[in-house]
Amino acid sequence: MPSTHPQWRRRRLVTVAISEKPKLALLAVHRLHPSLSLPSNEGAFRSSKMSLRKQTPSDFLKQIIGRPVVVKLNSGVDYRGVLACLDGYMNIAIEQTEEYVNGQLKNKYGDAFLRGNNVLYISTQKRKV
Amino acid sequence: MHFSKVRNPIAVNVVCRLCMCGTESNNCLLLFSELVDKCIGSRIHIVMKTDKEIVGTLLGFDDFVNMVLEDVTEFEITPEGRRITKLDQILLNGNNITMLIPGGEGPDV
Repeated sequence: MPSTHPQWRRRRLVTVAISEKPKLALLAVHRLHPSLSLPSNEGAFRSSKMSLRKQTPSDFLKQIIGRPVVVKLNSGVDYRGVLACLDGYMNIAIEQTEEYVNGQLKNKYGDAFLRGNNVLYISTQKRKV
Repeated sequence: MHFSKVRNPIAVNVVCRLCMCGTESNNCLLLFSELVDKCIGSRIHIVMKTDKEIVGTLLGFDDFVNMVLEDVTEFEITPEGRRITKLDQILLNGNNITMLIPGGEGPDV
């Protein structure tokens, strides 16, 4: 195959990518092969706007089921527990719920259902004040 | 976001880096959702209807401008500027969002 043939060119670039500066090389590979998904290496790609970690709300919701979450309502009341399920209206079912009002634990519920119109945010829980 | 300024005794020409419209033209040809899309990956400061502001890295949004953010700091304006820092990811309900400020770092508290 002549070296100007597109397939050959691509192959050469991939070889370079493995051996030399990994970050630049990965970007180059991506430009030629946009279908390839880049490794989700957060530190390397956070500064570039390549939208690799673009996540719509519906993707986010699918991903957090089963995780411990913090749900804040419009009223400011906080609920922490394990997310059992939720829907597109942000209606939420939480297990082992703790209710915090003004930062203080008020109540514990085995199961809680929150109506979505009251929800301000849903956050996964890795929290420090 | 930074504006580029040309110092001019008669007028100051400002070009918005997001939509590339100038003060002369008056038409921004981008859709709102396209503008927000440009902010994905960078810090954004969100002002809510209530006295609350949220600063985080924008990961995504949808048609209702519900937003997925990361490394979020929540500011309560007025009492003493209480601040709560959440790591990981948050889905913010678009219902109460009033203003989006790309690149903003939040209130000075």
